[in-house]
Amino acid sequence: MLNPSQYPWADGDTLGQHFESRGVTRRDFLAFCAEMAVILGLGSAAAPRVAKALQSVKRPSVIWLQLQECTGCVESVLRTAEPTIGDLLLDVVSLDYNHTLMAGAGEAVERAKQAAMAANKGQYLLVVTGSVPTKEDGIYTVVGGRTAKALLEEAASGAVAILALGACAHWGSIQAARPNPTGAVGVREVIKDKPIVNIAGCPPIGDVVTASVVHYLTFGRLPAVDGEGRPLFAYGKRIHDQCSRRAHFDAGQFVEAFDDESARKGWCLYAVGCKGPETFSPCPIFQWNTRTSWPIGAGHPCLGCTEPFFWDTMTPFYGRLPNLGGIAVERRVDTIGAALAVGAAAGVAVHATGTILTQIRRRKATQQIPETSPDEGPRHG
Amino acid sequence: MARTKVVVDPITRIEGHLRIEAQSENGRIAKAWSSSTQFRGIEIIMQGRDPRDAWAFTQRICGVCTVVHAVASCRAVEDALDIRIPANANTIRNLVHGMQFIQDHVIHFYHLHALDWVDVVSALSADPAATAKLAQTLSPWPNNGEAEMRAVQARLKKFVGSGQLGIFANGYWGHPAYKLPPEVNLLAVAHYLEALDWQRDVIRLHTVFGGKNPHPNFLVGGMASAINLDSTATINAERITDINSMIKHAREFVEQVYWPDLVAIAGFYKEWGAIGGGVPNFLACGEFPEADVRDLDKLYFPRGIILNRDLSTVHEYDHKKVQEFIHSSWYEYPQGADAGLHPFEGETIPKYTGPKAPWTYLQDEPKYTWMKSPRYEGHPMQVGPLSRMLVAYASGHQDVRELVGAALGKLKVGPEVLFSTLGRTAARGIETVLLARKMEQWMGELTGRIRNGDVATFTKDKWEPSTWPAKTQGYGYLDAPRGALGHWVQIENGKIARYQCVVPSTWNCSPRDAQGHEGPYEAALQDNHPLLDPERPLEILRTIHSFDPCMACGVH
Amino acid sequence: MTPSSAGPAARPAPPLFGFGRAFTRERGHFTWVYLWGAPLRAMHWIAALCVVVLVVTGLYIGRPYFMTSGEASSHFLMGWVRFIHFTAAATIVMTGIVRVYWLFAGNQFERLRALAPISKGSLANIGKTAMAYLTFRPDKQPNFVGHNPLQQLSYTGVYLLMVVMVITGFTLYGQSNPDGLIFRAFAWVPPLLGGLQAVRLVHHALTWAFIIFILLHVYLAVRSDYVERAGVVSSIITGGRYVSMDERYEDIDVDRVPASPWPTSEYPVPTKQ
Ligand code: HEM
Ligand code: HEM
Ligand code: NFV
Ligand code: SF4
Ligand code: SF4
Ligand code: F3S
Ligand SMILES: [Mg+2]
Repeated sequence: MLNPSQYPWADGDTLGQHFESRGVTRRDFLAFCAEMAVILGLGSAAAPRVAKALQSVKRPSVIWLQLQECTGCVESVLRTAEPTIGDLLLDVVSLDYNHTLMAGAGEAVERAKQAAMAANKGQYLLVVTGSVPTKEDGIYTVVGGRTAKALLEEAASGAVAILALGACAHWGSIQAARPNPTGAVGVREVIKDKPIVNIAGCPPIGDVVTASVVHYLTFGRLPAVDGEGRPLFAYGKRIHDQCSRRAHFDAGQFVEAFDDESARKGWCLYAVGCKGPETFSPCPIFQWNTRTSWPIGAGHPCLGCTEPFFWDTMTPFYGRLPNLGGIAVERRVDTIGAALAVGAAAGVAVHATGTILTQIRRRKATQQIPETSPDEGPRHG
Repeated sequence: MARTKVVVDPITRIEGHLRIEAQSENGRIAKAWSSSTQFRGIEIIMQGRDPRDAWAFTQRICGVCTVVHAVASCRAVEDALDIRIPANANTIRNLVHGMQFIQDHVIHFYHLHALDWVDVVSALSADPAATAKLAQTLSPWPNNGEAEMRAVQARLKKFVGSGQLGIFANGYWGHPAYKLPPEVNLLAVAHYLEALDWQRDVIRLHTVFGGKNPHPNFLVGGMASAINLDSTATINAERITDINSMIKHAREFVEQVYWPDLVAIAGFYKEWGAIGGGVPNFLACGEFPEADVRDLDKLYFPRGIILNRDLSTVHEYDHKKVQEFIHSSWYEYPQGADAGLHPFEGETIPKYTGPKAPWTYLQDEPKYTWMKSPRYEGHPMQVGPLSRMLVAYASGHQDVRELVGAALGKLKVGPEVLFSTLGRTAARGIETVLLARKMEQWMGELTGRIRNGDVATFTKDKWEPSTWPAKTQGYGYLDAPRGALGHWVQIENGKIARYQCVVPSTWNCSPRDAQGHEGPYEAALQDNHPLLDPERPLEILRTIHSFDPCMACGVH
Repeated sequence: MTPSSAGPAARPAPPLFGFGRAFTRERGHFTWVYLWGAPLRAMHWIAALCVVVLVVTGLYIGRPYFMTSGEASSHFLMGWVRFIHFTAAATIVMTGIVRVYWLFAGNQFERLRALAPISKGSLANIGKTAMAYLTFRPDKQPNFVGHNPLQQLSYTGVYLLMVVMVITGFTLYGQSNPDGLIFRAFAWVPPLLGGLQAVRLVHHALTWAFIIFILLHVYLAVRSDYVERAGVVSSIITGGRYVSMDERYEDIDVDRVPASPWPTSEYPVPTKQ
């Protein structure tokens, strides 16, 4: 996250004036708006609309709560790409509370948070990273003496909308992996009366976060979402349908073991467990860290980290199919299927032999019976 | 005189949820308690999983030191299955972990630790010309000119003038413990901002080899990023060039910005060389294997134990002597509350006994944290940059001796100042410089092997579970940015039967054990530690931040 | 069961060739009964072909066992395999539609009551039939001219399996176009089964059920041909089979079978005793 002091924002400035005071030329600004328009899936024709909206908007307050998490999502936002203009984007907001970066500590920051929430009641955007533990009254995550659940409920009550950032805030991520020892859940399980957007991923790409915020500021509403609450502009398509290795998939060219000849040719990672075919994510398009690369681009199969419960549904990560929980010492489905088929074939063979033997015996026996007249013939029933 | 009860919760500018409680008396801290207030149960979650997936699960222990658990996990599984990874994979892991150190330490210094020493508001009154002049005596960094300093100050003025202070609201500005002249404050603020852009650029090394950061991808048996100079989809000349430029950028910033700033700021706070020493025992498990990870003579940072600040003897480190206690922690052991368990017998059974939240004090509770207490032969140990540098120094490590000597000379202080809050912060800088220089050499080794036709990055023969023994166990070590890390794994019938992590922040943030030994945070705060104003506990932040706490790591 | 000339009254010889039309022919104590109408037979063989194609292509999709080499752009192996899989899938859905229609429009052996083991006594007959199979006592087996209840069970089962395959298959198919009708129509499936991977697993695992069904089904058909010598296998080609006049049948009253029945005409059912 960029600290706002880099580009201080005077009271009453609009974003346009603010950019100007920072030496951002009109051309740079329009180029940025065009790029944002494209990222948001509006097409570059919408650039003037984005520009207009951004220029007239005032800097809104953002409160960022960190609950039960690993801080990877915060780090991801720290890596937001498009260096100058991306930094600028984060300066669009006033980050009034964030655990990782705040100067003060203890009571001092708690007071700062309360003040910001009171001053911007009903207007601030609440960003949440991390899950909410629910077992044992939530004592598995306590900050300042209060449970994650209590903190979330308090902060949500005055928020205009919530950005649930990352898999933890979305559905619990690693904490919620089987057997979910702390009863971790995502924000949507706790807060039911506020609009929530889930920025999926463990962590998500920082740019998706910034683009979602821009969407909110530009159009005054949250981006359209899919059934999982994920913004369509980022999560609207499967990795598999946008993947740079897809031509190799269609051609029938697969990596069978890491670092084999196929791997060195950059072939498709399907056979080593790639979850691209069941994962909706912008990774192939946005890419990671200033568009440097992305997991599949660097030769590793996708883990499916934007999908709910991927720690359980997408594992084993190097297998194409999930484990059959508990059955037959966790043997994989093909082993079981093939064993059953072989069993059936063996059964058929045994049964066929038995049938043939009994038939032969029976026919011999029938021949020894003296011929009977049709009227006295065998008649079952 | 009555003691004042002090609570600092949340401790900000760290990873995770840390609560410090103390009792202060006459401007000093008499007693301190460190509590980690988040538990996730990742060791429980590991059970029954495929060992080849373990790196990804354990990696999510922490997104700040995002590399270290993944590598420790791979090493533990590789140890259990007797897998030897190709030399290229080892070098790539060193490069990735090396860049993790460099980036993590610089972020720690500027964005997490600096505001304990740097008064942002004071920078408003600095003279930009004098700042530039000062900066130019410190280093040849091109962005230290007067114009740059003037611009930073102008932004700062406007920002403060706006009345919306964001993350700087309610800092301890103007606290008498701030000692820097305005010019040094301004310089630090300028570099605070510059470091934000810098870290984003250099960490892309992870993206080239691991596809993303945070949480780059790893692989049991090697690395998944294949090398082929003739393909667009692999490590090729274009990606190598990119990496070389990141390594250069990293080294320049560390040598010309971070290190000079650190020395300059330390010069104003020499008294902190006698504060916050704490636990006198130091543990380093060693890191950066320059051959197979089992070849302990080939570790760039050596392993060893120092007891009672005695630098004349470096004891051998043996992981079998590590035990975890739960005397003051919210867990239970089938073996009893005072048992110490080696991680191969380790148990993670949460059992909360504290007060119902919201709570006001934990210091009166017999158990007060989710952190376990690791002990080495019963001793609490400090881990981290200082432990590594002391062990290296005491073992006669050439590079470390030179740099430590130069730093002490520059500050005109003796080696005894190392056992302190300042020592921890300085040691972090020293090892960053060493690694920033080392990266070029590793990259040279990688390209050299590629030139000779060795492009292997993965060992395939033990990939299939059918090749594994029915029952086996392994230990993966790694000295992470915050200190010695160990992962212990037991594998039965192809599945993880037990997984235990003992993490740098577990060592440092551990609570009291049955013998009454405080953990390193607590001991440091009780060691000649000032606290002028319990309402504004700046000094506590200084010492705690000098450890670079990571609670998500420590408890997991 | 020796043939005898002194059987029931001789019946007129039917036309020799009558694909789609009925023909009966008499030999000794046997009479030829018309069972499977042309639509059903056509459906059976198209579906059988599709299933074989789906299994083979599906197994390839599940674990690509051939690879191409060279430029990706000059190959489309997985592309074709998937195309064939989807074409066969579409075809089988159409045969399914025909079969559903025929559940109501077909003859007494083809209708729902004959396909699903839902009539009274089905359960007991399933047990008896299974016992007879297991103890190699065909003589103890309740006789059916159409599907016996065990067959009914397996055919109903295989049709249901097919429904599951179609649902899971189309769910997977829809993923590439989340704006599309198929995606939306099957959006309820992943949450129901626990995610797309579960959908894939079900689709993949049930493939083995088909393989096992084919094995058993073909064996049992050939076996009953061998044991009963009544042309069971050819019934699914020609439409009819021989029925011994000496046996008692659960589903028709063989004594009252009219001579030369026409395809859609109904056979007399045994009266309750
Ligand atoms: C993939 C392959 C096959 C499938 C899925 C399949 C499926 C079916 C189904 C569902 C029926 C019940 C028809 C109905 O009443 O709706 C049936 C009947 C029948 N099938 Fe198949 N079949 C297959 C292959 C074969 C083959 C290869 C043969 C010949 C050897 C065969 C012989 C028969 C016969 C004789 C019947 C009539 C059953 C009876 O009442 O005895 N089938 N089959
Ligand atoms: C007897 C019927 C069928 C069999 C035996 C069969 C078999 C298979 C198998 C084994 C797979 C590979 C699954 C995996 O491991 O990922 C597969 C994939 C698939 N099948 Fe089927 N299938 C059948 C019917 C259908 C139907 C009716 C559809 C409808 C469209 C369908 C669509 C698909 C799709 C979309 C895939 C995934 C292809 C991909 O991801 O590229 N299948 N099938
Ligand atoms: N403590 C700790 Fe870590 C580190 N370095 C790791 O093992 O920070 Ni998140
Ligand atoms: S979603 Fe993943 S990266 Fe983000 S905090 Fe949770 S575990 Fe860490
Ligand atoms: S690498 Fe993964 S996402 Fe890409 S084409 Fe292959 S299976 Fe699909
Ligand atoms: S693992 Fe996650 S980061 Fe992207 S490529 Fe797969 S969704
Ligand atoms: Mg542990």
